[in-house]
Amino acid sequence: MRIRTESGIGHTTVSLAGRFDAHETADFRNVVDLLIRPENATLRLDLSNVVFVDSSALAELLRSQKAAKAIGGEVILVNVSDPVRIILELTELQQVFTLESRTDPTTTTS
Amino acid sequence: MTAETGTYQAYRKWVTEKSTVPPRVSVVIPAYNEEWRILPTVGAIATHMCSRGEPWELIIADDGSTDTTVSLLQDLRFPNMTVLVAAKNTGKGDAVRRGMLAARGEFILFADADQSTPIEQFDHLMAKIDAGYDVVVGSRAAAGAAVSGKSALRKVLSRGLHVMVSVGFGIEIADTQCGFKLFTAPAARSLFTLQVVDGFSFDLELIYLAGRLGLTTAEVPVEWIDAPGSTVDAAKVSLQFVADLVKIKVHDLRGGYTVTGHSPVSRASSPASVASIK
Repeated sequence: MRIRTESGIGHTTVSLAGRFDAHETADFRNVVDLLIRPENATLRLDLSNVVFVDSSALAELLRSQKAAKAIGGEVILVNVSDPVRIILELTELQQVFTLESRTDPTTTTS
Repeated sequence: MTAETGTYQAYRKWVTEKSTVPPRVSVVIPAYNEEWRILPTVGAIATHMCSRGEPWELIIADDGSTDTTVSLLQDLRFPNMTVLVAAKNTGKGDAVRRGMLAARGEFILFADADQSTPIEQFDHLMAKIDAGYDVVVGSRAAAGAAVSGKSALRKVLSRGLHVMVSVGFGIEIADTQCGFKLFTAPAARSLFTLQVVDGFSFDLELIYLAGRLGLTTAEVPVEWIDAPGSTVDAAKVSLQFVADLVKIKVHDLRGGYTVTGHSPVSRASSPASVASIK
């Protein structure tokens, strides 16, 4: 899985590409844990190019969300690909995250 | 709010409306205590199969799971998904056989529950079926395969078993055990009716029988990623594999695989053949 980070004033986006599974959770955690900080506790994850998430990856996403919320922020999932969206729905985890579309900057929980 | 793509809309239709036409493709997944992995797998398969735009069905063949695998699946209430519940654990081969014989599609894929071979690889196998083959075998050993995370022990065992299979059965397929195989419906019906091995070695038996029945078989390289959390003991399974080799041979020598009137005629006019696709 490829992980790319973009930081700007007041926002940080991490873009993931490929298969996000148990082999990738350590690298993901290493990147994300450094980015979720009290001064910038909201993190956007661009999942437009993620082709699969397994249960370990879902657990890692939940862990990140919990860490962000603990300091007043959140993890926002951006441009969620079809397989990830469907897997989030099947596991009823879409309710835990704000989903944001690039073409629709308003955020909603679904 | 995320935008709805055509694939997502097709998926919503698939999970809410019973198809009015017979499926073109059936996907069979054997499952034993897969509560940790099964929902992502169903999601990935549903996404890809719905994106193809053809009617399809999903069959989960439980193998006597003692965890929540069955209830997780049944709670989904998907109209085009069937969950075959088994009272006890009888082996992967038995679970796959039940699923394959229940399938209604013109073409039937069986795929492991861990998505170690991503469902997108289905398109490569289907292309060979479209080219006229009866059985198409996903392969981690054919030239062009992309394998990651396979342990050294599993590589050594695989090579050893391949030598035995090649010498003992004359099978040219380099990887008989990859859990990703596609069949025409007539081929599946005949092969799984004759199958006697209930354990992990059933794949080898199927390929052996395919040759006996004169079915054309292609081997297609696939992407394969080791899925952590496998409950399979490679060494133990290998020993069982050797025992099953003997069982298959003895069963054959005793005339147990008698070809009957229902056995298929290959779609190809040529004699039995095996092709390795580079």
